[in-house]
Amino acid sequence: MLLKVSSSPHLSQPLDTRGIMMRVTMALLPATAASIYFFGLPALKVIAFCVSTSILTEAVIMLLRKKKTTIDDCSALVTGLLLALVLPPQTTGYAAIVGSIFAIAIGKHIFGGLGSNIFNPALIARAFLMAAYPKMLTTFSSPCSIDAASCATPLALRKFSHSFVPLWDLFIGRVSGSIGETSAICLIIGGTYLLVKKIADWRLPISMLAVVSFIALTAAKINPTNGSLLFHLFSGGLLLGAFFMATDPVTTPVTKKGRYIFGAGCGILIMIIRYFSGLPEGVMYSILFMNALTPLINRYTRPRPFGSKAVRKGVK
Amino acid sequence: MIKLKEHGYHQDDIRSQRFLNPQKLLLPLSQHAGKPSTCQVKVGQEIDEGQLIATEDGFISARLHSPNKGKVVSLVKVNHPNLKRALAITIQCTPENKQYHHSGDPDRLEKEGLLEIIKDKGVVGMGGAAFPSYVKLKPPVEIDTLIINGCECEPYLTTDYCLMLENLKEIFMGIEIISRIIKPKRIIFAIEENKKRVLKQLNLFTSMRKFNLPKIKSAVLKARYPQGGEKQLIHTLTGRKVPPGRLPFDVGCLVHNVATCFAIYQAVYLDKPFIERLVSFCGSGIREPKNVWVKIGTTLSELIEKKIIELNQEPEKIICGGPMMGVALSGPDYPILKGTGGFIFLGKALGQVQESPCLRCGRCVDACPMSLLPLEYVRSVKKEAYAQLENLSLKDCIECGCCAYVCPAKIPLTHYIKTGKYYVAKSK
Repeated sequence: MLLKVSSSPHLSQPLDTRGIMMRVTMALLPATAASIYFFGLPALKVIAFCVSTSILTEAVIMLLRKKKTTIDDCSALVTGLLLALVLPPQTTGYAAIVGSIFAIAIGKHIFGGLGSNIFNPALIARAFLMAAYPKMLTTFSSPCSIDAASCATPLALRKFSHSFVPLWDLFIGRVSGSIGETSAICLIIGGTYLLVKKIADWRLPISMLAVVSFIALTAAKINPTNGSLLFHLFSGGLLLGAFFMATDPVTTPVTKKGRYIFGAGCGILIMIIRYFSGLPEGVMYSILFMNALTPLINRYTRPRPFGSKAVRKGVK
Repeated sequence: MIKLKEHGYHQDDIRSQRFLNPQKLLLPLSQHAGKPSTCQVKVGQEIDEGQLIATEDGFISARLHSPNKGKVVSLVKVNHPNLKRALAITIQCTPENKQYHHSGDPDRLEKEGLLEIIKDKGVVGMGGAAFPSYVKLKPPVEIDTLIINGCECEPYLTTDYCLMLENLKEIFMGIEIISRIIKPKRIIFAIEENKKRVLKQLNLFTSMRKFNLPKIKSAVLKARYPQGGEKQLIHTLTGRKVPPGRLPFDVGCLVHNVATCFAIYQAVYLDKPFIERLVSFCGSGIREPKNVWVKIGTTLSELIEKKIIELNQEPEKIICGGPMMGVALSGPDYPILKGTGGFIFLGKALGQVQESPCLRCGRCVDACPMSLLPLEYVRSVKKEAYAQLENLSLKDCIECGCCAYVCPAKIPLTHYIKTGKYYVAKSK
C-alpha cells in the first residue's frame, strides 16, 4: 500500500487565488459593460490594450525571472482591467500600454511579485500616468456622444463651477469620468457580489463609505453647495475605490481593526481632498497614501493572543 | 472559528459494532500526555484480561492494562502515530473475553476512593490529548462550572455522537461521579446542532431528576471548528477566556469529553479498566463508514485483513484522527491507542499542492481561533528568524489547521508553524 503523507490539515476549502481573481473580474463586469455602453469604442480600446499588455508583461517578466508563469492566477488580468477602468476614455493606446507595463513591472514585480507589492499596482500606474500625461488624464469625454467633446466630471463641476449633475445620471453612469467609475449602480452590484461571496472583507468598503457619508452629511448641513450625501457617494472614483481598490488583499491590512482604520483613513483623506485641495477628486491618492501606512497599521493593530487580555485585567 | 464545508456530511443513523477478538495487540507504553508508563511484565509471561501491565511513572502518567487474555511475546519499538516509533508490549491473544457486571457501589465511596479507581483503571481524556483523567479531576482550586464536551467538531468522526446515541444514560452516570468528585455549582452539556437525534434524549435526561446532579443544562452550539477545543468551548459557553499558558481551572472551569465520562462509568460501576474504545472508520476509501468497539492495541492492518473495514479501493491517504488535526500514516501497521478517535481513508487525497505566493488577504488571521497572525509565522520560518516567532506568541498556536484550511494560496501554514515550533524548541 503506497500512501501519501503530509502535514495536517488534510482538507482545504476550494477557493484559491485564481478563484478570487476570477470573482473580482466577474464583479467588475457590470461596470465594464456600462463603460462600453456609455463611452463606446474608445473605452473598449483602452480596456483591450490594458488587459492584454498587463498579461503579456506578466508573462515576459516571469520568463525573465525564470519562474513558472503566473498568468493563470488571473491577477494580471485584474490589474489590467482595474487600470483601464480608472483611465479616461480618451487615453491613447500608447499611454495605456506604458501604464500597464508600469503597473505590472514597477507596481508589482519590482517588489517581488504578487503579494509583495506595497501599492495597488493599478493605482500606482495611474499616478504615474497622471505625472507623465497630466493633460490626457484630466480630460474626460462626455458619455453617449459620438464626437470626443471634452466635458468636466461631476466633481470638477461642483468644485469649479458650483453646479451639480442630476443624481439619476450619476447613479446610472451617464456622466463623464474615468471609464469604469461612472456607473454607481453597476459598481454597487459588483461590490455587493464581492461582499456576499466573502471575496472581500466588508470592513474596508463599509468603513470607508461610512466615513465619507458622515463627513458629507455634516458638510452638507453646514453648506449645501458642498454637495449632498448621495452626490458624494455616487460621484468620482469612490465606489470603484471602495469596492475594488481598498479591498485589494495585498496592499491593505490583515487585521480586522486595521481594516477599519484603513477604510476610515481613506474616507477622511478623500473628503479633505474633495473639499480643500486643488484637485476635484482624491480617491487614488488617498488609497495610495493608506497603502503606504499599511505595514504600520498592521504592526499597531496586532491582535492579542486569545485570553491575554484577561491576564492584564488580573484574572488569577 | 470557521465553518467547514465538510460539517455537512454528518451521519444521522450510525450504529456501533464490536470487534473484540483480536489476534495480536500492540500496546505502546506512551498512550497519553505525560511520561510513558513503566512496563510490569516480562516477555513470555501469561496475562489475563484487565491485568495491570504497566504502571504510571511520575505525576502525569497513566496505568495500562492488558486488553485481552494472552501472552506477552515481545517488547519492541512499533509504529506510533504521534511519536513515529515507540516502545510497546506485544501480546498474542487467546480468544476469550471476560464479562463485566455492575459490581461497584460508588455511593459508598468518597472522593478519594473514586479518584483512586479512576487512576487505577487507567482512564485518560478521550478528547484527543489523552491527558490522565485523575490528574484533571484534582484541580488545585474550586471549580464552579463543569463542562461536558459533546462537540465533535472535526468532521467525519462520529464516535462521540454514536456513544451519546447509544449510551447516554451511562454517560450521565459518569457525569454523576465527576460531579461528586469536584462538586461544581453548575454543569453544562455542550453539543452541536448537527447532532439532532441526540438532542431530544439529552433534553429528557437533563430535565429528569433521576441523577444526583447540581444545576445541569444542555447548550446547543453551531457546528464550528474548533468548537470542541477546551479554550474555545469555555469561551463560547461562559464568556471566560483562559489566558495563554493557563489551564481551564484558572477560570473555574473543567471540561470532560463524553467518552471520558463513559470510561469513568465503566471504571467505577463495572470495575472495568480502560481497555477498549469506540473508533470511527470513514472516508471515501472504505465501503461503508463504521464505528467499531475495539480493544486498545488492535492494529489497523488486522482490522483490514479480517474485513472489519472493507476498502473499496487502495486508499491514497490514511489519517489517524480527524481530517484537520490527524496524522497521515505511512501504512496500516499502526495500533489503536487510548486517544485514537478514528481513521479516515481517503480514496483521493490532496497531494502536494503547489503553494502560491501569500496574498496577505488576512483570511488566516480572521480564521485563527487563538487570535494570532499565522501569515507572519510563515514569513519568519521562511526567513529562519526563529527568535521573532516567540514574540508572535507561537507557543499559543493549537495547530488546529484553520489557517491552512482557508488559505487561498494553499500555503501549508500548519506545517510551517510546526517546523517553527520544532526549531524554537531546538534552539533552547
